[in-house]
Amino acid sequence: MSRLDDALREALRREEPPEGFAGRVMARIEARKERAGAWDGLMAAWRGPRLRWAGALAGAVLLIGTAAYQETQRAEGEQAKRQVMLALRITGAKLDLARARIQRVGYGLGDR
Amino acid sequence: MRIAIVVLAATLGTAWAQDIKMPPAFDKLAAKAEESVDVTLDSGMLQLGGKFLSDKDADEAKAKKLIGGLKGIYVRSFEFAKEGEYSAADVDALRSQLQPPVWSRVVGVTSKKGGEITEVYFKTSNGAQIGGLVVIDAEPKELTVVSISGAISPEDLADLGGQFGIPKVELPKSKGKEAK
Repeated sequence: MSRLDDALREALRREEPPEGFAGRVMARIEARKERAGAWDGLMAAWRGPRLRWAGALAGAVLLIGTAAYQETQRAEGEQAKRQVMLALRITGAKLDLARARIQRVGYGLGDR
Repeated sequence: MRIAIVVLAATLGTAWAQDIKMPPAFDKLAAKAEESVDVTLDSGMLQLGGKFLSDKDADEAKAKKLIGGLKGIYVRSFEFAKEGEYSAADVDALRSQLQPPVWSRVVGVTSKKGGEITEVYFKTSNGAQIGGLVVIDAEPKELTVVSISGAISPEDLADLGGQFGIPKVELPKSKGKEAK
């Protein structure tokens, strides 16, 4: 035989794996299967109608809640605005009344 | 003890913020009144209301500018069906808070014939602005008190009269008496 044949035989000769190698490989395969199982389960549940409905419901509640909050804020703001205008109108009217009474008795603020 | 201090601080805080405390008797007057107005706007409510005031509307734009420096606006107004529903003591309870040197009475008109009292008080301020304003208008069948807390410029004060949809009252000047 040639030297090349010898070298090939040497390189490709059967070698026994270290002790516990097969067990470790099998354990890693199992662990990967478990992780994939949990994720697949979640995805499957999402694809299921119950969780999809729950998600849609939560979204709708959030949307309605935000809209209701904004509406409450708007209503309070409008109410505050009306009160500001009312208060200033009353103040203006009373200041005018004071001015008119002063002028009536003859020493108006307008004279100053 | 701590609770008492907190309650006292909160009470004093509110009183300080409002400057003038509306007499408790006013709450009873509301029940007697045919019509009553109660406006309580602290700084938070003024800010909120200011956000909704339009710059395009002339009155609202002026109101927005005016309330910018204010800490609060408080109005109590009562209209009664008959005379004598409120007492002088009700007004005195408010008037007693408006003492110098903090407050100055700038207008005081009393008509014994008509039974009308109109008083305007300014809160003294170091700057060119007025630190607060109180208007008391007591008539036989009507009582109105306005308390404005915060900085008001004389221009804003002049704007208040004859603005906000109220026609300016310009009566012919009397020639009989001298200006005070």
